[in-house]
Amino acid sequence: MIARVWGTSVLVLTTVTILMSFFNYHIPTALWLLEAFMFFGGVIAFTMARGLSLFVVKRLFETVFVVWVIASMTFLLLRILPGGPFDTEKALPAEILANLETKYHLSDPLYKQYLNYMNDLAHGDLGQSYKYVGRDITSIIVETLPNSIQLGVYALLISYLLGIPTGVIAGWKQGSWLDFSAMFLAISGVSLPSFLMAPIFIMTFAFGLGWFEPALWEGPGYYVLPMVILGIRPAAVIARLTRASVLEVIHSDYIRTAKAKGLDSRTILFKHVLRNSLIPVLSLSGPLAAAILTGSFVIEQIFAIPGIAKHLVLSVSNRDYPLILGTTLLFSVMLVLANLATDLLMAVVDPRVKM
Amino acid sequence: MRLIAVLMLTIFVGCTKNSAHLEYGLDVKDTLRMNLLTEPPSIDWTKAEDTTSSNVLYQIQDTIIGYNLADPDLSMIPQLATEWKASDGAKTWTIALRKGVKWSDGVDFSPQQVIDGFERLLNPATAASYAYFLFPMKNAKAYNAGKIKDFKEVGAKINDKGQIVVQLEKPMSYFPLLLTHHSTAPVRKDIIEKFGDKWTYPENIQTIGAYRLKVWDHDKAVVLERNDGYYGEKAKIKNILGYMINEYSTAVNLFDAGKLDFQETIPLKELPLYKTKPGFHIAPGLSSYYYGFNMRKPPFNNLNVRKAFSQAIDRKQITDLLGAGQSPLTGWIPTGMFGYENDRGLKFNPEAARKALDDAGYKDRSKFPSITLGFNTNENHQRIAENFQAQIKKNLGVEIQLSNEEWKVYINRLKKDTPSIYRLGWIADYPDPDNFLALMTSYSENNHTGWVNKKYDDLVEAGASALDKEKRRAIYMDAQKLLTEVDVPVIPIYSDIRPLLLSERVQGFPINALNRWELKGVYFK
Repeated sequence: MIARVWGTSVLVLTTVTILMSFFNYHIPTALWLLEAFMFFGGVIAFTMARGLSLFVVKRLFETVFVVWVIASMTFLLLRILPGGPFDTEKALPAEILANLETKYHLSDPLYKQYLNYMNDLAHGDLGQSYKYVGRDITSIIVETLPNSIQLGVYALLISYLLGIPTGVIAGWKQGSWLDFSAMFLAISGVSLPSFLMAPIFIMTFAFGLGWFEPALWEGPGYYVLPMVILGIRPAAVIARLTRASVLEVIHSDYIRTAKAKGLDSRTILFKHVLRNSLIPVLSLSGPLAAAILTGSFVIEQIFAIPGIAKHLVLSVSNRDYPLILGTTLLFSVMLVLANLATDLLMAVVDPRVKM
Repeated sequence: MRLIAVLMLTIFVGCTKNSAHLEYGLDVKDTLRMNLLTEPPSIDWTKAEDTTSSNVLYQIQDTIIGYNLADPDLSMIPQLATEWKASDGAKTWTIALRKGVKWSDGVDFSPQQVIDGFERLLNPATAASYAYFLFPMKNAKAYNAGKIKDFKEVGAKINDKGQIVVQLEKPMSYFPLLLTHHSTAPVRKDIIEKFGDKWTYPENIQTIGAYRLKVWDHDKAVVLERNDGYYGEKAKIKNILGYMINEYSTAVNLFDAGKLDFQETIPLKELPLYKTKPGFHIAPGLSSYYYGFNMRKPPFNNLNVRKAFSQAIDRKQITDLLGAGQSPLTGWIPTGMFGYENDRGLKFNPEAARKALDDAGYKDRSKFPSITLGFNTNENHQRIAENFQAQIKKNLGVEIQLSNEEWKVYINRLKKDTPSIYRLGWIADYPDPDNFLALMTSYSENNHTGWVNKKYDDLVEAGASALDKEKRRAIYMDAQKLLTEVDVPVIPIYSDIRPLLLSERVQGFPINALNRWELKGVYFK
């Protein structure tokens, strides 16, 4: 009972926050804190109640190890990559190059640079960007990540809101024209790349119909196109998976029993089919979050959204070592945590899951 | 349920359409909206080295000497300096500074701040890329290399009249041009010491300019506001809003949607579409696009082969392909710059080209070694390279391999393993031919050809110190002849231009060949 109330209130709070952010209302810190408390408190309480503490702690330790491996590999790969941060079109005189290398400790022996970096990393210091003079990597992340998360959350929501109903209808009405058209749309959604979809949507909805803005990130009218385009591909994946899963459930014994009992089809659908067929869909959340994270670069570029995905890509062409390392680590941590969250979520909805 | 949906839709539509008001509390009617293209990497003017940063900097910080941007010759005009004079055969320069100028916080502008600016630019700890601008100054290079620790030994002093006296290593006729650049502008040491790297934050920075920095919303926008305490003529438009839109097509979309007043660069493919629109303008550019030969290895260690290749290329075909109004270039100094000569260089002459290749000992073309044309990955470079490849095949009967690499990998290759033919370009830092000719001296880091010609080096040095304009012109004629007709280590291809989009309400925009956009004189119709 407590769990249910708790869960519902977390859900309501999250919805409120998302809506507020969408309509550009200032979200008070108190709300953030309350939400963080509810969410993390819930997660901790749940893991303890289900006896999963050891599992979670183990996974978190694994995360630290993963971060170390990724940091070391990235560090090494960057030094193998030809071309350095100060190789520019207008070649610099040797004296100036030497000054720059001294300033950023690039003339130190490699092992020393590595140890220094690891030491700073252990203290939570990601260093300073080479390209954006005087800007900390941490502050770049703090300033741009929220926009990316905002976009990612909207896209994820859209993908569920579009994908699940489509999949359920297609599965429920298997073989009908509804099924065919839904699956046709889903296949198109999976196969159309976003850099093609974006111009089509911009031409249609921004210039043709004038409903939304063609680019920038300033309010609801600006959010719709990027979030829909970013969400469509995962929505298509979800729709196909939901359909398959609904079909599987429909043909199972307990649905036949329910039908034999004379339950009306609405109850069967909402009470029995939906709930059970959504479990596999939920397990997809981790990989989906990953797809949205990596897919956001193109969308952020096309819509000029001040997000972090741009830095992940452009830092490499700038050979901005600290920024490459910082963004790579950030993305890996986010992926690991998204997978952990999915595992825990699975344990919540499916009592059969054993960790 | 339906009610909620309708309600949400109403709020939604209500929120989307409010185009008169911009973010940051700005009003469209007194705000010039421009695209900066990227986040400015640094607005610390001593360290900044890119065009985005300078597009912000030239609004907020005056330089010692300015340009008359309306003059096609880009003559110099007083800015923080009122007068500059050469003596001792252009080896000493005396610069008189403006009196009664105040920084944005009311502090007086002083000669010491100019010296501080020089010192900071040259200080090895600053590690400024543009430090080499002041290397002509006495002992400046040694100070930058850490060989001299005391700045007093460097040739920049304040005399008893409060003027700046600069001693140079060698006579240099164009020294004042170096003072038009943001890197040599005065600095406020007190502010920099107080705030460290954070001195460029809007709440800390102090400047002398027609605008001042009001908001810097990283990766999103910069807002500049008119500085009412500016010593010169006040800016006509109250605010400048600079967006950071990386994608050209996105920016062009926003321009079409009426959300941008100024956009430089248009994607090549969309150019024909925009050429006929009212807001389309072309700014000349003091820049050149060229191919260089690796002269250290066969076949390009042979002069006749180089001549054959240079004569086998019809530059006009390439500029037609680009179609934006670039001009074919056979000499080294770009169109529009002092010293440019239409007739200089080897012209397109396929007959002579074939003969030169025969003379080089490649009458049997199958004996011609395999050669590679290297360039950095880019759609334009690809198209030009393919055209070059086709022309060489047609006119000389020789095959070229194309090889493109990511920018930094390519630059690294130029230094370590130069391709047989390589692509590079140059954009003027200041409107003086020395900026281009010095690229090909034997000691220049930008000369990847391996070409060494003492006579050319001497000519470039003589040109830099010559005060008489006609004498200079003659020297540069000789130097260009040596470079593009006699020794031919390079094939100049074209001088670039820059397409611009300006919304119809923008008036008085200073279109100029340096692409230096000072917006204080711009106004709305």
